[in-house]
Amino acid sequence: MAGAASRVHYLTDFCCPLGGPAAGRPRVLCHEPEVFLSTGREFVYVYDQEGGQLTAVFQFPDQVWHLQLLAPRRALYVLCARTGLYCLALDSLSRSLSQASEDKEDEDLPSPVIPVDPDACVLPDATLCAFTVVEDMLITLVQGPTQWKMQLFERPCPGEEPRPEGQIGEVELSTCTPPGGVPGKSAAPCFLPVLCCVLPPGSRALHGQPQGFECFMLEEALFGLLFGADATLLQSAVILCGLPDGQLCCVVLRALVTSRSAPGDPKALVKILHHLEEPVVFIGALRTEPQPEEAAGGLLPGEDVHSDCLVALGHQGRTLAIKASWNNSGNLVPELREYCLPGPVLCAVCDGDGHMYHSTPSDLCVVDLTRNGISWNLEKPDQAIGGLPSTLCPDSLNICSVVTLCVSSRAPTGGTELLALSAKGRLITCSLDLNSEEPGPARMTMANAGQKIKELLLDIGDVSERVSFLKKAVDQRNKALTSLNEAMNVSCALLSRQEGARPISCTTTIAWSRLELRDVLMATCVLENGSSFSLDQGWTLYIKVLTSSSALDLDGAGSTFTYTIPVDRLSPGSRREVTLPLGPSESGVLDLPVTVSCWLFYSLREVVSGALAPSDPLEIPYLEEYPLNLPKQEVVCLPLCKRTVDMLQCLRFPSLASSPAQASCLPGPVREHVETFLETCQAPHSDLAGPASLRAKYLPPSTASIRVSAELLRASLEDGHSGFSLCSATLQWLLAENVAVDVVRASALSSIQGVAPDGTDFHLIVREVAVTDLSPAGPIQAVEIQVESSSLADMCRAHHAIIRRMQTMITEQAAHGSSPPDLRMQYLHQIHANHQALLREVQTLRDQLCTEDEVSSYTAAQKLLQVYKQLRNPSLVLL
Amino acid sequence: MSHLIIPAVPKAPASCLDLWRQKNDRLVHQARQLARDTSPSLRRQRLAQDILEKFRGLLHTLQGLPAAVPALPLELTVTCNFIILRASLAQGFPEDLTQDIQRSLERVLETQNQLGPKLEQGLKELWNSVLHSSSLLPELLPALHCLASLQAALWLSTDHLGDLALLLQTLNGSQTEASENLLLLLKSWSSPAEMSDAPLTLQNASALRDVVLTAFAYRQGFQELITGNLPSALSSLHEAASGLCPQPMLVQVYTALGTCLRKMGSPQKALLYLTAALKVGTTWAPPLLEASRLYRQLGDTSAELESLKLLAEALSATHNPEAPKLLIEVDLLLPQPDPASPLHCGTQSQAKYLLASRCLQAGRAEEAAEHYLDLLALLLDGSEPRFSPPPSPSGPCMPELFLEAAAALIQAGRPQDALTVCEELLSRTSSLLPKMSWLQENVRKGTRKLPHCPLWVSATHLLQGQAWSQLKAPKEALSEFSQCLELLFQAVPKDKEQGSGSTYEDLYSCSDVALQQLRVAALISRGLEWVSSSQDTKALNDFLLSVQICPGNRDGSVYLLQTLKRLDRKNEATAFWREAQTHLLKEEAAWSVPLYLETYLSWLHPPNCETLLEEFQTSLLESHDL
Repeated sequence: MAGAASRVHYLTDFCCPLGGPAAGRPRVLCHEPEVFLSTGREFVYVYDQEGGQLTAVFQFPDQVWHLQLLAPRRALYVLCARTGLYCLALDSLSRSLSQASEDKEDEDLPSPVIPVDPDACVLPDATLCAFTVVEDMLITLVQGPTQWKMQLFERPCPGEEPRPEGQIGEVELSTCTPPGGVPGKSAAPCFLPVLCCVLPPGSRALHGQPQGFECFMLEEALFGLLFGADATLLQSAVILCGLPDGQLCCVVLRALVTSRSAPGDPKALVKILHHLEEPVVFIGALRTEPQPEEAAGGLLPGEDVHSDCLVALGHQGRTLAIKASWNNSGNLVPELREYCLPGPVLCAVCDGDGHMYHSTPSDLCVVDLTRNGISWNLEKPDQAIGGLPSTLCPDSLNICSVVTLCVSSRAPTGGTELLALSAKGRLITCSLDLNSEEPGPARMTMANAGQKIKELLLDIGDVSERVSFLKKAVDQRNKALTSLNEAMNVSCALLSRQEGARPISCTTTIAWSRLELRDVLMATCVLENGSSFSLDQGWTLYIKVLTSSSALDLDGAGSTFTYTIPVDRLSPGSRREVTLPLGPSESGVLDLPVTVSCWLFYSLREVVSGALAPSDPLEIPYLEEYPLNLPKQEVVCLPLCKRTVDMLQCLRFPSLASSPAQASCLPGPVREHVETFLETCQAPHSDLAGPASLRAKYLPPSTASIRVSAELLRASLEDGHSGFSLCSATLQWLLAENVAVDVVRASALSSIQGVAPDGTDFHLIVREVAVTDLSPAGPIQAVEIQVESSSLADMCRAHHAIIRRMQTMITEQAAHGSSPPDLRMQYLHQIHANHQALLREVQTLRDQLCTEDEVSSYTAAQKLLQVYKQLRNPSLVLL
Repeated sequence: MSHLIIPAVPKAPASCLDLWRQKNDRLVHQARQLARDTSPSLRRQRLAQDILEKFRGLLHTLQGLPAAVPALPLELTVTCNFIILRASLAQGFPEDLTQDIQRSLERVLETQNQLGPKLEQGLKELWNSVLHSSSLLPELLPALHCLASLQAALWLSTDHLGDLALLLQTLNGSQTEASENLLLLLKSWSSPAEMSDAPLTLQNASALRDVVLTAFAYRQGFQELITGNLPSALSSLHEAASGLCPQPMLVQVYTALGTCLRKMGSPQKALLYLTAALKVGTTWAPPLLEASRLYRQLGDTSAELESLKLLAEALSATHNPEAPKLLIEVDLLLPQPDPASPLHCGTQSQAKYLLASRCLQAGRAEEAAEHYLDLLALLLDGSEPRFSPPPSPSGPCMPELFLEAAAALIQAGRPQDALTVCEELLSRTSSLLPKMSWLQENVRKGTRKLPHCPLWVSATHLLQGQAWSQLKAPKEALSEFSQCLELLFQAVPKDKEQGSGSTYEDLYSCSDVALQQLRVAALISRGLEWVSSSQDTKALNDFLLSVQICPGNRDGSVYLLQTLKRLDRKNEATAFWREAQTHLLKEEAAWSVPLYLETYLSWLHPPNCETLLEEFQTSLLESHDL
């Protein structure tokens, strides 16, 4: 394949937008000097190659999806989207055409647009998606709601009175849902099925048909092997069908003739040959070995080619080739190979010399499947009689964006001429002389100089079109690669250092602030880029706020809010601040603790898809349709930080006047002055008083206490709290993350009165006590932390928060290896047993709560509260 | 009654409503006119489509205005007409028709101010609300019932029988509330009389009800027939037959009644229904096929074959289908015909095959041969190929058809023709067979390894051998039998074969039993050929092999015993007899082998097998006694 010399001739320009995924089912057909062409819109053009001009333009009611020419009858069949099948008699049309042009002689239009007569519609069917005409039969494929249905009709003729009931057979193909829905209702389907007809060797139907297009003859062995003994014995044509879901199936035409009362049985009639797993866009056949007659003494010009290799092409370039061969024991076996060609494939065609041409948006390639192809295994030439190359090497022809192709019937001797329509609407011919050497510089004469220059200019134009397209693609890819590289660096930097200072950090602080007459707890997340890379397009800061379930709702799972903030270019050293409200909600409830977690997300799709998808869909009509081959995980996720906000951090202390921010705050949710007034005006015995105030008035405040050994506390608080009493240090430690900690430190407080987020009073007291009866060695010095609140829920939350801190502290201390003092085991056992009993009681009471009626459940709840209270005031000390 | 009836005087329409009404009536007239022209043509179809589009336009106009009580009867009528025409043209109920019905019902509720928040109701709930609405105008009822009957038809065709029963219960009021019997519910549904001045409908509620009733009875009857619930099938089918069936449907119903009665054991009554079906005279195939089954059951072979002959003729006649009537008819509501249904007649070639194979099975070899040759000509000639598909899937594959034809010809005493048929088969499939050059090469290299051949190739050689044997050409016969055996011993039964290209035609596999029987048949045939050329030792070998392959085989054993006796090897005969007695006394298992093989095996039965065996028994006892 040294000299794949091609010469491109520009024929004419159909200045029409071909692009857009909705359009784009262009076809071109060639017969003698005439070229029939549809551009994906509702027009069919007839172009005369000899005269070099358009002779007719037919207008159809909707997009034209397919054309087929029945040459001996001079009939053109046209599939019009969502309308049906039309049949045009070319002879009578040309007569009426000349008539028309005579009538309109004075007009400038070179070719009149002729709207097609509705009478020419021979098969009205809105769901028709593909058809093919064989002999005197018409095979159609219609799209049902769940299945493809193949139907067989007597071929309607243009002149005759059509018979709508001429259906001979019908069979359903596959049960999978066709993509894109029913064409009559929704948008046009992305891919149409492909139909073609395979004739048994020796049949006479091919004469006068354009060779190699939708209808071909297979040699006996391959035919028998693929379609079986019945088809061979009956000498029946076989319909091959490639579906958008990748199925390649066949139906023996003679068997498809079903009785009028019932459709055929798919199991008996339809055979699935292969599954390409991507939309089938082309089915063709090739002759890869010289025919016996040819070998003997040259093929007669009128002789039919018996192809010995069936090929099917998927949209992404997956290619199937099937040949028949004989194995060592002489049995006929199928030889089946799958190849991968560059995709996405826009169109393809086979010529008579064992070449397949396929077009992608960036190139038109030729593939040689014959024995003299490059990849033919030369080491063992006599190993098998048949054989397919192990790999295919496509050769570029340097023509881009060809949307439809056909082999010209006026091929020059010893070469192939292709007729192609480019995405920009140019009709070109491409003469290929694949076997000849590169022609040497011919002597230029005056006569052909102009022609030569024209050709060169056209070539230059074509190449520049290609270059600009490729350049754009390369730029986009480079950009995507740079972005991916940075993302990679950032990910490495973040993931390699789990401990200690990370180059990119996120810190969360909380504060109360006043928003719309309400006090709201705000979290401020600061994303700081301390690395040397910048966070660019594709990065997103993802913050998740998880509230714990409400105390009133036993089964509630808590609610989650997520915030995604695109990080739009965060250069090294800069920071970004995000402030989010945590609560309380409209109803004044703040379900503590709240967990705030931050991640960095990187979306591969956002970055890569930009490079793979075309920026100008008009230019490359098919690019959009193919899916990205991204890995399944399209997102990189890097955890940054996690912060739990609990009761102790949310307490406010209005009594501590030195904190100006807090002094200005009104405790509790906002109250209208009028409301306050009305409340005060209410009668003292009114039932309308809020439950909180009632509770405050009539119930003693709920309390809980925790005792910690002083030694333990001292050990863990020794640094940073020197000079304070143990109680004050403990309080400082507890409120370390609260804004009020400075005031506590300044005044060395050991007890503090505050306000919970919902406005109820709250008292935190720390005092030193001695626990006497625990250790045989004498009393143990301990610190008792007491929580008091009129709201049971708030008390619980605070208790929980304190316990959490204790847990962390004890685990830390345990790591240091401090030893607890001797304990009186008997006493401990007693306490333990008490607690066990209490816990059992809790369990039974809870069970009762679930099962019993309202009255008894009320008493059970009362008891439960009592028990919980006991549990919360243990006589144990944390040592 | 002093009302004056004022004749309709053409005058200027008073309001838009009148205009629209006139348009509706005009369109109905046009559709009826078009329906009278029964010849199917695209022009007619296009005209009907035009009328449909005009109905659609009218409906859009009416529904473009807020729903109002005075316009509602007309709107509902136009909706009904639109749906009827649409379903009739599409020959089925497109899915979006439910939306049209839903829209209409919602508009009815709109006028009742009942829609409000219940916008998202399903069809069932909508019907319930509409029919229970207290303030429905009486003049709305006919149109509403018409719409309800269309809904019933739609639910019937989509098999939503539960919804249908609920709707009917609501329509009938509370009297039959408990009844779940759809047939009863349908019967007791009486639609209100139409007003004389109501807008025209293509098909009114009661006509539609009759159609639904008949279709339901037909469906139910069929289902019961298939599930074997014969008495209720009979009553349902009677109901369908008494309804308004179009003629082709009536033929089906009568035939189904015939099937039902045959299965219930009343063949005479069944015959009466089949005769009635034939008298209807639109299609003859279903009753003829059923008649053949009936005669077969009765054992009347000649009548059975006569029916099959008529069936083949009936199926060859092409009849022009009628154009749809532009109305909703019973067949529109029936499920798609199923090839497995008892009324499915298949194609002409399938009928011909049935006829030929029945002739062969019934021992009418000459007739069978003629029918097989007819069938082959029909399939292969290609004079009018498109109307004659091969008999599969229900029948055998094409090569087996050839083999059956050859077997029939041999049985009919036409060995020469049988040879022609066999050669035709081999030449037509030569491309699928291993290349001769390979065979020769293997022979030259001295390797005895032969390539696998499809089973039918061996079978063809077997039949060819038999034909030669009949032609008194032992040399050819022996060579064919030997070739057959060589191929057969290369063949691998299906279940032992390793998976090879399973999606492609399994050219080389066959069933285990068929392979075994083929080998036995070939061995016995060759043995017999040796016997007739009086080479008893060679014959003995073959018979011995046949018995080894299939130990219970009676024919092989008898021939073996005979030969041993002839060779005067009594001890061996006795020993064999003792061993084989247990096998031979057992009933021979019923194999399922292809028809050609079954026929072939029947030729191999020794003429007086039982007496021979008895002779052995006695002679053996004698020798034992000695």
